[in-house]
Amino acid sequence: MHEMAIVDSLFKIINAKVKEHQIKKVVKVKLKVGEMTAVEPMTLTACFEVYAQNTVVEGAELVIERIPLQGKCRECANVFRVYNYNFQCPQCESRSIETVAGRELYIENLEVEE
Amino acid sequence: MEIKVLRNIMKRNEDLATVNRELFDRYGILAINLMSSPGAGKTTILERTIAKLKDELKIGVIEGDLMTTKDAERIHRYGVPVVQINTEGGCHLDANMVNRAMQELEIENLELVIIENVGNLVCPSAFDLGDDLKVVVISVPEGDDKPLKYPVMFREAKACILNKIDLLPYSNFNVDNFTEDVLSLNPNIEIFQMSASSGEGIDEWCLWLKREWERKRQRRR
Repeated sequence: MHEMAIVDSLFKIINAKVKEHQIKKVVKVKLKVGEMTAVEPMTLTACFEVYAQNTVVEGAELVIERIPLQGKCRECANVFRVYNYNFQCPQCESRSIETVAGRELYIENLEVEE
Repeated sequence: MEIKVLRNIMKRNEDLATVNRELFDRYGILAINLMSSPGAGKTTILERTIAKLKDELKIGVIEGDLMTTKDAERIHRYGVPVVQINTEGGCHLDANMVNRAMQELEIENLELVIIENVGNLVCPSAFDLGDDLKVVVISVPEGDDKPLKYPVMFREAKACILNKIDLLPYSNFNVDNFTEDVLSLNPNIEIFQMSASSGEGIDEWCLWLKREWERKRQRRR
């Protein structure tokens, strides 16, 4: 369950922002999570709620936007959606594919009460 | 009010992994991150590898384990330096744990460092340790469907060891299907078939490891 470690890192970032902007209450936290990150959204949300307890983040909604897996063919430069982890170019059938999206794990923004 | 953040959540780990990588590079050490589910045979492979290569390369081992020192004790018998990291329930090693272990290991005297990750096919793939290459071990009893179930691990590994091939006659494991799935995820991966308990396949694997080490040395010059 590495989601706990991820949420720990997430709160280090949130807490720095809370201090910097003297935030009184966070109402929403928006994350972007790639399809190929091995992060389980329900577990992530449960860990988030535990960390949020008794802080200005308590009760905030965690919004997880999933980013689809995309590959770029190194042969013909075609960019395509990768389904079922089949890294093969649908245009030229090359298997030399660079992952261009779907590995993201970042916090986009916080919505706070003014 | 909305506050833009746009920060990579893994950045703290990635920064530390970069520190580790620079240290390994400075001393010309090849660092391997060995990953698999529990019981796939990582420690036995490690024992065989050490026995085979310890006269040619100065090897050090970082052992990740949830609770015990059993694996470190097994490695210690081979007379190579080993540092145990107990994650106390944590499902993966991270760059910070490895960094502390590297200091304890006195890596400046070493040429090959093998990090045995905690037995788990999911979580370790999310944490870069600063290693040069990731090796994933899968064993026959686990089934040939695992690559597509744990794609991140297989996509990022430089090599894959299929262990316990001596059990193939008693299993419905289909090596062709397995190989096809692994290559569809990662066409450049090296696949080694092995039975670590009998020693079959160890020579090819050790030869490859030695070549990767030489390649790293040449890059350094």
